[in-house]
Amino acid sequence: MVSGGNASSLPLVGGKPEPTIKELSSPGRRASKFPKLDVPEVKINHESLKKEKARLPEVSEHDLVMHYSRLAHRNFAVDLGFYPLGSCTMKYNPRFADSIASDSRFANMHPSMPEQFTQGCLKVYYEIGNYLCEITGMDDASFQPPAGASGELTGLLIIKKYLEVNNLNHKTEIIVPDSAHGTNPASARMAGFTVVEVETDSRGMVNIEKLKEIVNVNTAGLMLTNPNTGGLFEEEILTISQIIHNAGGLLYYDGANLNAIVGASRPGDMGFDIVHSNLHKTFATPHGGGGPGSGPVAVKSFLREFLPGPIAENKDRKYNWYHPENSIGRMHGYHGNFLVTLRALVYMKLLGKEGLDKLGSYAVLNARYLSSKVSKIIPLAYDEPCMHEFVASVKDLKKSHKIKAYDVGKALLDKGFHSPTIYFPLIVEEALMFEPTETQSKETLDDLAESLKLIVDDLQKEDTVLEDYPKNLPVGRPNELIPAKYLTVNWGDFELLEITE
Amino acid sequence: MFVPHSELDLKKMFDELKINSLDDLFTHIPDALLLENGLDLPESLSELESIDYFDDIAARNKSELVCFAGGGHYDVYLPQTVKSLTMRPEFMTSYTPYQAEISQGILQVLFEFQSLVCDLTDMELANASLYDGATSIAEAISVAINKTKRDGVVISSGLNPNSKEVINTLIDRNKFNLHYVDLENYLFPTNFEFDDTQAAFVVSYPHYEGSCQDLTMLVERAKEKGLVTICYVDPSMLGVLTTPGQMGFDIIVAEGQSLGSPLSFGGPTVGWFATKKEFARLVPGRLIGESRDKDGNKSYVMTLRAREQDIRREKASSNICTNQTLNAIGSAIHLSWLGPEGIYEMGYHAIQKANYMRKQLIKNGYVIPNDDTSLREFLLEVKTDPSEVISKMGDKGFLAGILYDENHILVAVTEKRKKIEIDNYIESLIEVDHG
Repeated sequence: MVSGGNASSLPLVGGKPEPTIKELSSPGRRASKFPKLDVPEVKINHESLKKEKARLPEVSEHDLVMHYSRLAHRNFAVDLGFYPLGSCTMKYNPRFADSIASDSRFANMHPSMPEQFTQGCLKVYYEIGNYLCEITGMDDASFQPPAGASGELTGLLIIKKYLEVNNLNHKTEIIVPDSAHGTNPASARMAGFTVVEVETDSRGMVNIEKLKEIVNVNTAGLMLTNPNTGGLFEEEILTISQIIHNAGGLLYYDGANLNAIVGASRPGDMGFDIVHSNLHKTFATPHGGGGPGSGPVAVKSFLREFLPGPIAENKDRKYNWYHPENSIGRMHGYHGNFLVTLRALVYMKLLGKEGLDKLGSYAVLNARYLSSKVSKIIPLAYDEPCMHEFVASVKDLKKSHKIKAYDVGKALLDKGFHSPTIYFPLIVEEALMFEPTETQSKETLDDLAESLKLIVDDLQKEDTVLEDYPKNLPVGRPNELIPAKYLTVNWGDFELLEITE
Repeated sequence: MFVPHSELDLKKMFDELKINSLDDLFTHIPDALLLENGLDLPESLSELESIDYFDDIAARNKSELVCFAGGGHYDVYLPQTVKSLTMRPEFMTSYTPYQAEISQGILQVLFEFQSLVCDLTDMELANASLYDGATSIAEAISVAINKTKRDGVVISSGLNPNSKEVINTLIDRNKFNLHYVDLENYLFPTNFEFDDTQAAFVVSYPHYEGSCQDLTMLVERAKEKGLVTICYVDPSMLGVLTTPGQMGFDIIVAEGQSLGSPLSFGGPTVGWFATKKEFARLVPGRLIGESRDKDGNKSYVMTLRAREQDIRREKASSNICTNQTLNAIGSAIHLSWLGPEGIYEMGYHAIQKANYMRKQLIKNGYVIPNDDTSLREFLLEVKTDPSEVISKMGDKGFLAGILYDENHILVAVTEKRKKIEIDNYIESLIEVDHG
């Protein structure tokens, strides 16, 4: 094993648990220092002022830096190894984008500044809007939504408002495939729609016959990702969009899997009316341990006036904020996640036409190659050419040796890889979903396949105790029942539990 | 550049897949859907060329203005320690800690974040972050509606107008009655009558206008009628202010920018959400719990996952998935850097300097309508058109504040502002604002 994702980043530093910052606290220490008060100090009486000090840790700066650095050492990351987490597009995040986003001329801008002071920020939104619309085949975009789920909700609220304005209030049903991300039905419900599930057929695609049965006068729209969550291209997408449009519904594209088709095919050409993108996936902005992301929504021109505003416009060589007439309203307190958007623009500029044209191809090549290797070890869920990700299933191993997808994922951690996404999509039993992304080398993909083979062999041995995996990490499997039952979510909660139990 | 494949790699991979070119990967996609000539976009830039490109864009921003604007986002001092620690690649380039065993770093920092938020606000349980202050208010209202099954919401008008817009977007006004209550003399009317059709009482502390009041009695009266009480707080002032927990609130939400994130043109920042344990199962977003592995080692893990969208789907408590973890990490580290003395000085200096500024303005003939109730932020009545004043003050090197209405600018002072900056601001104001 020679390359990224091998065991050289392991064991993550540790062995002993790291104390909390509170346990490191000692009265009288401090890291902060402020300038002396340079205005005449006066006695201020106000009913809201308190006498006691806040309950915060007291640590020196070096203690603080060591603590958080040690914690960083206990965390796997894209920069340490292979992170094939399906549906999350954990590709390399260029350092250069961080340096631009750290420029104080961007980072220190107050959000309520009037347009004439923020021409640079507006230009960023205007430029990336053009890129995103070209890549997705749409006409106008809003960068208000701060994450993918917020983008989904935005899309659904746009559908709702569009139906309201056109006196089509009876249209209350949103169709969602049974393979969809959980955020799809959750967002549809939040927007006040009824969720209707459409089945997936044996090939792993939307069952067209079932779809025809479900569609009716009350159909408001369909939420779909293409490629779908099984990693397969919905080959009948033009038929699907015709069915929905004929019923007067709108087509919503969940951009979670956009990485597969960038430069090759466009949602706008497939018939989608609304597209959200995850800039933190497709356009390489760092995932930040769970966020921030950015979930801009792009639409065909007939939906422009429904977009959440304001959106950046360029008139007479000046940039200004445009407020769409029938806007669904703001999705964010200010302008969405600006610095994330900026990083994505940097990435697009660095890739340019050449890089973006081939982005999807390389992502698919890596997944197709890895799927070919993995299929020799674990059967794949679908016998179809995958796009940027694929799903394997260990249901046979579960029957024969009680080995679950969960166990395979945990054993992979020991080998220096992040686990693939497990138990998703829900319609595949014991699913393992791999998404290698285009930035991993052939050797790394080979390493993963090889490790997987070793694991599957190991786990089948008679003396194997599945619960022991992972074995060489700072901690083993945490007991998940304790915090759920006793709500140990605040420091001191667990100690209190130990005293009382 | 970011794609490692050499010609040799491609050949080996093509052989494995029995194909001859990248195009062969897409033979199953209908021809009509394949882009023939690729995307209509400019050629790529090298990093060196990009520096020039983005330098030109950055230069169009008036980022050098001395900031007297607030409204939820404050120009406080963000220590280098916080910036460099949050930018550690292990934090930046990981994702949601689904695999606890290799994510103890993120999990523990988030657990500390939750605990620090609880300690600072006097609450029992905080989540691992929401998008921002505005969306957090809307999430809190949803919790109250779910808890009480009532359809009225009492909302103080003394909120950032953008936050009100977000609430109006996210809470369905066809189903729920949003009752905005005007402030009287910049304070929430203490004689307001709540009733038992109302799900929630939402109020900002301090109010958007900068005035601050003890809300204990209002909270008590709202609770008597069964309302869930929600406080939107400026967390960077909690070193000096009575906490929302002490005033009895059920839920506190906050815009956490001023603790751990640069101004960022408004995003990414972080929404805080803290509450009492009785609300645990209604809480939106991720929650980290402390546990033990089978050898008794302390370990952290995501908990109460059954509330979340990937498991509960359309019955989830919220649709949130990706949140603002990195900014929450920033908050945790900034709070630890500040300590009890630091956060006190940060608030105390801001109040002293704002007080000095108000007195100087009054001395120079200006009216501060909420002088007696405001702390670090206040309304300044100007003599000419306030947007003109803001524009002209820009030429003098100041971001004068936020346009409030046809006569007023909302001015904020942080611990970072110097006396000389305040004096120069007033001098410039007198020059540009003469009626």
